[in-house]
Amino acid sequence: MLRSKFLTAGAAILATALSASTALADITILAWPGEPSESAFRKVLDLYNTTEGAKINSKASVIYFSQQGFKEKMLADVAAGSKEFDVMLTSTYDVGLYAPFMTPIDDLVTDKVYDVISKNAIETQKYEGKTYGIPTDLSLHFLYYRKDLIDQLNTDPAWKAKYEEISGKILGKKLSPKPADQWDWDDYIASALFFTKSINPDSPVRYGTVLQMKNLLYNIMLWQGTVASNGGNWRDKDGNITIDSPAYKRGLEIYKIITDNEATPGDSSTYEYGEANSVFGAGQVAFMVQWNAAVPEFTGDKYPAVAGKLGLSHEPAGSEGPKTHFHSLGLGLNKNTAKLDEAKAFLTWLATAEPMKLYAKEGGSPPLAEGPMSEIAGDRPEMVLMGEHAAKYGFVMDGATSAKAMGIYTNMAENFTGYWTGEMEQDEAIANVVADMKKAFAQ
Amino acid sequence: MSYVSFETKEQASARALLVPLCLFLGALLGFPTLINLWYSFSDVSFQNMIGSFVGAENYIAALTNPKMWQALGFSLQFAVICTTLEVAAALVLVFILHPLLIKRPWMTAILMLPMMVSPALMGVMYRLILNEFTGAIPVYLEMMGHAVNFLGRGNIYKTVVAIEVLQWTPFAFLILLTARQTISYELEEAAAVDGATGFRSTFHILLPMMKPALVIVIFVRFIDSFRVFDHIYVLTGGGPGNLTTSISIYIYKLFFVQNTLGEAVAVSILLLLMSLTLIVVAMRLVVRRS
Repeated sequence: MLRSKFLTAGAAILATALSASTALADITILAWPGEPSESAFRKVLDLYNTTEGAKINSKASVIYFSQQGFKEKMLADVAAGSKEFDVMLTSTYDVGLYAPFMTPIDDLVTDKVYDVISKNAIETQKYEGKTYGIPTDLSLHFLYYRKDLIDQLNTDPAWKAKYEEISGKILGKKLSPKPADQWDWDDYIASALFFTKSINPDSPVRYGTVLQMKNLLYNIMLWQGTVASNGGNWRDKDGNITIDSPAYKRGLEIYKIITDNEATPGDSSTYEYGEANSVFGAGQVAFMVQWNAAVPEFTGDKYPAVAGKLGLSHEPAGSEGPKTHFHSLGLGLNKNTAKLDEAKAFLTWLATAEPMKLYAKEGGSPPLAEGPMSEIAGDRPEMVLMGEHAAKYGFVMDGATSAKAMGIYTNMAENFTGYWTGEMEQDEAIANVVADMKKAFAQ
Repeated sequence: MSYVSFETKEQASARALLVPLCLFLGALLGFPTLINLWYSFSDVSFQNMIGSFVGAENYIAALTNPKMWQALGFSLQFAVICTTLEVAAALVLVFILHPLLIKRPWMTAILMLPMMVSPALMGVMYRLILNEFTGAIPVYLEMMGHAVNFLGRGNIYKTVVAIEVLQWTPFAFLILLTARQTISYELEEAAAVDGATGFRSTFHILLPMMKPALVIVIFVRFIDSFRVFDHIYVLTGGGPGNLTTSISIYIYKLFFVQNTLGEAVAVSILLLLMSLTLIVVAMRLVVRRS
């Protein structure tokens, strides 16, 4: 009797030990905060925890830092060897900076993944030939415009005449209005001037456009479509720095002309994403170039002043046609994680159709391949446009995924915002940026 | 003989009691200081946290970078202006509100409210309040026919100064109020009997008696304003250009964004040396005068 009790107890202990050895640990994900992607990602995690995660006995939870200083905090953490998160954020523009602290995931990127996620987007998560992240959000720029105003500009003879008069007087050439999808940068400037009340008192809005000119690296990404559309790049194919070029000068002038003529709000030098949205949403400007993430804000009922009046197009064209900066945010492996298998299991699942489609439906902007994209097109029509724009007009500056990219963008932000607001001359701003880039790339 | 041995015992136990404090300070300040000294002479980066010795390269880079001098100039100017305005405003408030606050001391708590808000939050608040379209202040001013663009290039410097002054004047006020309240009523009464009222009483009796507190307030506020970071970073990011880049923002960008850790630490150490020199000079002046 006693012996059988011992045997039963021993079997129970053995069973517990065995089951414990097959159970996987829970993982923590450090993701980019902010709506609508934050709530969408939480729904994806719920799905994981009730399906695949439950199956393999590994739950995933998410932590967020605040957006301000997010990258700096993450960098300090990974450099210190933190194991607080197993999966971490990756971005096209700093994948080179974080690569030494991450484990490449090329073994997870199988052909099946390309059926779900666009190949171009996966390329944006590569550094020196290795893939570091599963892209979860694509970011690029659209021209957001008020359809009612631009339609009237193209049909009302009095508005047309005034437009020609203003463009002739300020730009020195008589331009005629065009539909927004046919604009070049001259049309963009001329329209900005036309819709500015201080220049045209009959304008129904206070300013033509809103520029984001806070000393912030993301604002340079937003601006550099003006450069790329005129053939500009950070470096040429031989690695020479090409900032001191007609394309960069033209790009800088576009913002300068608009700023000097006060066709953007006077406090634009402190503006970033949120401020620009609130000005456009309040019906105070006619158009703006903005990140794609703003689309859901203007298609809902948050801003009654522009409800039903939103038009979307590509950025205005330069000599090389329209271009848009694009990058992706993604999730990759913290090199220090003690739960590599569990983290890999999560990323493998994340790169399948079901979670990606759920993420898109809930407000995220995953760079889906054609198949899954067509399935969610009804819910998120602008995502189809995003896919098209990324493929047709997307560019990544040469060197903009290197470990020094963030520093270069920041230096550009300091100098170029200084030029736009009259703190320094254009030549000085360009020379400062070139000197900084030479130093950065020499290292 | 017994007196001498008593003294020695006292000294020995005093030294023994100081040991934990010295160990604590050594661990808290000594180790980081030493490692930072090493960093300032190395090419340390986030990718290579040990780094290799590069001599005085970081110090040369720091001292020959015009941006550092520009940021230092901004911080000095900002600190002088803010400290002057805060102390002046606090003094005026102390003399005006002192009689009222004796009767209703709970009102002091209300005056302290701005100080309790985090400076970063203050930046966010003013980003909204001063926005040309959505901010309450510009909208009301425009309704009254006085459109002011607080965050525009021409006003941004004044705006960041005003925010600092609004937030930290209560601190100066609190210290000076406490000093004012320690001056006995009898003394003021005696001065009044001798014919010293109003201006003479304030400048010849009250202010000289508040001088130690004034020196401390000026000192603390100067240091605090000199290392300003939060609200400026949130509001302007140090721009436009480098117009509002303080030395703290400059170091932060060198460290986290440019990934030039060695140079950032070198600037910090130079700053520490400058501050120590200033402190020693200031303290000697204070001691000599007192």
